[in-house]
Amino acid sequence: MLKSFKIYWPFASNQIKANFAYKGSFYLYMLRKFFGMFIYYYLWMAIYASSTSDVLGGFTKNEMIMYVFMSYTISDIIMINISSDIGRDVVDGNVAMNLIKPINYRMSLVFRAFGIMIYKLVMPSLFIWVGLEIFKVTKLGMSVSNPVTILAFFISMFLSFLIYVFFDYCFGMLAFVTTYIFGMTIIKNAMLSFLTGRLIPISFFPAVVQKIFSFLPFTAMTYVPVMIYLGKYTGEQILLELGKQLIWAILLFLIGGFLWKKVEKRIVILGG
Amino acid sequence: MNQNVIELTNVRKEFVSTKHYPGFKGAVKGLFTKETETKVAVDDISFSIEEGEMVGYIGSNGAGKSTTIKMMSGILTPTQGTCLVNGIEPYKNRKVNAKNIGVVFGQRTQLWWDLPLSETYTVLKEIYEVSDEDFKERMNFFYEVLELEEFIHNSVRTLSLGQRMRADLAAALLHNPKVLYLDEPTIGLDIVVKDRIRQAIRGINEKYNTTVILTTHDLGDIEELCKRIIIIDAGKKIYDGTLLDLKRSYGGSCNIHFEMKEIPSAEKIQSIHNISDKMGIAVKKKTLSVNFNKNDFTVAQVIGKIMADIEVTDVQIKETELTDIVKRIYQNGVEAV
Amino acid sequence: MKSLRRYLRLYRIFAVQYIKTMMQSKIDFFIGLGGFLISQGAGIAFLYLVFEQIPSMKDWSFEQMLFIYGFAQIPRGIDHLLTDNLWMVSWQMVIRGTFDKYMLRPMNLFFQIVCEKIQMDALGELLIGMILVARAVSNGTVEITPLKVIFFVISVLAGAVIYTSVKLFFAALAFWVKDSSPFLTTAYEMADFAKYPIEIYSKPIQIILMTVLPFAFVAYIPSTFFLVNRNVLTTVGAECAIAVIFWLISYALFQRGLVRYESAGN
Repeated sequence: MLKSFKIYWPFASNQIKANFAYKGSFYLYMLRKFFGMFIYYYLWMAIYASSTSDVLGGFTKNEMIMYVFMSYTISDIIMINISSDIGRDVVDGNVAMNLIKPINYRMSLVFRAFGIMIYKLVMPSLFIWVGLEIFKVTKLGMSVSNPVTILAFFISMFLSFLIYVFFDYCFGMLAFVTTYIFGMTIIKNAMLSFLTGRLIPISFFPAVVQKIFSFLPFTAMTYVPVMIYLGKYTGEQILLELGKQLIWAILLFLIGGFLWKKVEKRIVILGG
Repeated sequence: MNQNVIELTNVRKEFVSTKHYPGFKGAVKGLFTKETETKVAVDDISFSIEEGEMVGYIGSNGAGKSTTIKMMSGILTPTQGTCLVNGIEPYKNRKVNAKNIGVVFGQRTQLWWDLPLSETYTVLKEIYEVSDEDFKERMNFFYEVLELEEFIHNSVRTLSLGQRMRADLAAALLHNPKVLYLDEPTIGLDIVVKDRIRQAIRGINEKYNTTVILTTHDLGDIEELCKRIIIIDAGKKIYDGTLLDLKRSYGGSCNIHFEMKEIPSAEKIQSIHNISDKMGIAVKKKTLSVNFNKNDFTVAQVIGKIMADIEVTDVQIKETELTDIVKRIYQNGVEAV
Repeated sequence: MKSLRRYLRLYRIFAVQYIKTMMQSKIDFFIGLGGFLISQGAGIAFLYLVFEQIPSMKDWSFEQMLFIYGFAQIPRGIDHLLTDNLWMVSWQMVIRGTFDKYMLRPMNLFFQIVCEKIQMDALGELLIGMILVARAVSNGTVEITPLKVIFFVISVLAGAVIYTSVKLFFAALAFWVKDSSPFLTTAYEMADFAKYPIEIYSKPIQIILMTVLPFAFVAYIPSTFFLVNRNVLTTVGAECAIAVIFWLISYALFQRGLVRYESAGN
């Protein structure tokens, strides 16, 4: 375990360095993230202002504000695209090359994504998060999150990262079927913004739809950590949700391995 | 007296670039500071070229050749000085200039990647407003000299490098430009294709009196095509004259190798050395090499003198090649050669 | 006139060719189309779910919101369809020097750039936009009169020009910064604000949307003319004025940038 961490860590650290090297674009990146969040912030403000009820879909206005910002920030941290890497490697013919090297292709991708996640966690997101925490306490008058919640939140977020990356790996296998990964990515992003609850909390959906969602891995990506952070779950529920996340991570990992086996056979026969 | 088609006067081109800092610290520093540095790519260059001339424009990597070509074709604007092509400044009158010139960059195609080649020429016909007659006449000419027929219906992305070059050359010439710039037109091509391209260029020059400016690292191109060459180094013009003059002034040296019947005795060697101190002589077993300048002796004189003394079985004459001259100029500058 | 015909003829050659190439990869076409359809669909579903909870938003009903949303997609779709290649200027052509080839041809540079690509993905946006507008007409959310139809066409075209101008402006910045795609992406993301009534945003954002990045004029402001009969001059008229001004600014910047173009390999 430790040994393989040592082997693959350079993939992560290279990404961290590379991301730091993009000067200038960092500020713009922050700005863009803020734009995206603020559109929904204002929309919700207008929605609550037009509503006769103080609570919509189980969220007070202040909770909804936190929900918008947190789900945006978390999605940004954990949703690291590795499918686009796979797409590029397929087009450049690097996948076959990777079969020769004594490393596991998926592990190298996951660690690259891990590096980017760490960068995003440290650079833009930590600022945003600390800012949010201050905003939450001073402006919204909500209480500071307790350490246990924060710990559970971080564990949940890490599991979310694994779920997303393993899912995206499976998705990336489509690169062996179509070359238009850009178009596929747009479909994926649109679906995910909806299914993960980033666009609108899951609790707004009709009961039937909520039921269906609970059998899909997507709510485990951003909805769960945000709900933990907002203190919407009790202690027992937290454990249950974390357990569900873990199961999804393992399941998607296995599915990815299975798909790769199929693809690998194809590569060996047809060439990368 | 022919008319000047191209006139460069004191042309200078500077590039300003942002400094990058290495390492992680550098990246953080780069977030806050911005320093620039100026690089002079072309420094005070002047020359003029007459209609119908074929001129080789050479220099080592980064000497400023491509930059000059790009200024003459209207892509770059000079920092100082003026550049006139057909009496107009290309960068000020881009569209008018574009009709007067044809450009081939060997490293990268100007054709449309997805279009079948035949369609490419239809598009270019429209762009350059070539009449139906001219189009037909020129396409026939290209079919003949460039042998385009074999791949005319293939899309550009599927062409081999040699085919692509031929296609690019035809594309640059379709509107019968007065001036043709060729930037490394034979790079990476095999000998057969190279030869065909050279023949085509010569044919076009003869038929349409097209002025050709040729940038290349392959001096074979120059020797085959150009009477005149211009050499630049580090942005400055260091030679402008005929190829013949260059060879005469810098390349007069000649080497003759004699294969002797037997290893000569010490006295024989001494007597050879005594013929003239303007000859450099080296003996190695049965081989005798004589190095001299053609301004001092003719080849016949040298051979005569040696053969009078020694029994010779074989003679090899080696004149200094253009490559050697140019190599020396690049390394030492004009004066030192 | 003669030159206009020449440009149209050329555009037709490229368009035909582009469609031919696209037909060879129909799957990609449907993926792209589907991608944009689903993205827009998600946005509409969001509105639907929200309006399950509230009757109206800042005096706008669900149907009216849908009209604004759909109306915003049409100029965006037109711009996306026709001038997508400007993106290449922002992140590739200037850095790699592939812009050279355009400068060697006796044609308008802007035309040369845009004619090389028709982005069929945009049909997804256009389709959704037209469906939503048609819906608004059929259920009486907007009345239809000959004059309104004319102004609708004018407004959509002016809106597309605004989109293109913003894109051209930020793409042209590449002549100064080499890779201007981060700026262009940022500006383009601001366009998402245009899908909703700008009254919901705070004052600074409203001002930005009406001045520096005038996306308020591509849909919301003209849509008030169609929805609640606001003065045509201050809505569609203002939109046209903004379109002309921004086009002139962007095109001038593009021209200035060309002088600075450095090609590659230096």
